[in-house]
Amino acid sequence: MEGWALPEINLQQCNQCGACVEQCPTGAVEMGPEGPFIARPSDCTYCALCETLCPQGAITCPYEIVWGTDGP
Amino acid sequence: MVESTVQALRRISLFADLSDDALIRIARVARSQTYVPGEVITIRGEPCRAAYFIAEGQVRVYRLSPGGREQVLVQLGPGQAFNMVPLFKPHGANHATVEALTPVTLYAITCKDLHRLVGECPELALALLRDFASRLDHLTNLVEDLSLRTVRGRLARFLLEHGETNAITRRWTQEEIAAHLGTVRDMVGRTLRAFADAGLVRMDRQRIVLLDREGLEAEAQR
Ligand code: SF4
Ligand code: SF4
Repeated sequence: MEGWALPEINLQQCNQCGACVEQCPTGAVEMGPEGPFIARPSDCTYCALCETLCPQGAITCPYEIVWGTDGP
Repeated sequence: MVESTVQALRRISLFADLSDDALIRIARVARSQTYVPGEVITIRGEPCRAAYFIAEGQVRVYRLSPGGREQVLVQLGPGQAFNMVPLFKPHGANHATVEALTPVTLYAITCKDLHRLVGECPELALALLRDFASRLDHLTNLVEDLSLRTVRGRLARFLLEHGETNAITRRWTQEEIAAHLGTVRDMVGRTLRAFADAGLVRMDRQRIVLLDREGLEAEAQR
């Protein structure tokens, strides 16, 4: 199992509106000097709300589609 | 100048297989344009003046719903083209509004120039026809799917077609899956949860793990 996946934030597309910071249900996102980042990775549930609400389409929560019975 | 344009045009997927001669002809009429993030490139409903080929950057293609809500149709990046369909219609109008998301460099070819090139250059005409044929193919399948299958059925088939065993070749957002199936993100999320409840798939953090091939195949028939 690879690392803990997090939403990907493309800062080139982001206009720092702050919607993801305000509306993340677990408060996992914070605004840094360069833009938002996942400040508390272990709080992020990968619910993809930030992907839905980002007006710039700057956040994505991609999935792999795999066959398997490969562990938990 | 023409030389560097030829290099750039070769990276546009539609032009990838064209001969140097054809690319030089295109390069002579392709105008390089740059846009800053947020700048609008085409406006829906306005007369179509040109087709656009993205060299660098990302654009967002959207329409406004009657209520004024923005509906993003697709996001396009390097190598992709837009505004091709209205270009070949008499008095065609832009289908959608297109806006730069990042700094964008693209090549614009006017309707008049492209029409002339198609006459002069059969291999370009063929490349365009191939592109249109594959779009038509996709749309025909989609229409069949929309009329014959439920979202459950479409999603099951999509998962069966895209489930990977060894190397992961691509990852999908729920938005992209929705666009592929002709539905909306919410429906994809809900249907995935229903599949998970039925034991057909397991939702890991960033993975959709397919568990029951027979069960998914049965769903795909619906
Ligand atoms: S919602 Fe999108 S545009 Fe707004 S700050 Fe977050 S990433 Fe940037
Ligand atoms: S995926 Fe959900 S929990 Fe994670 S950062 Fe986005 S909104 Fe917050």
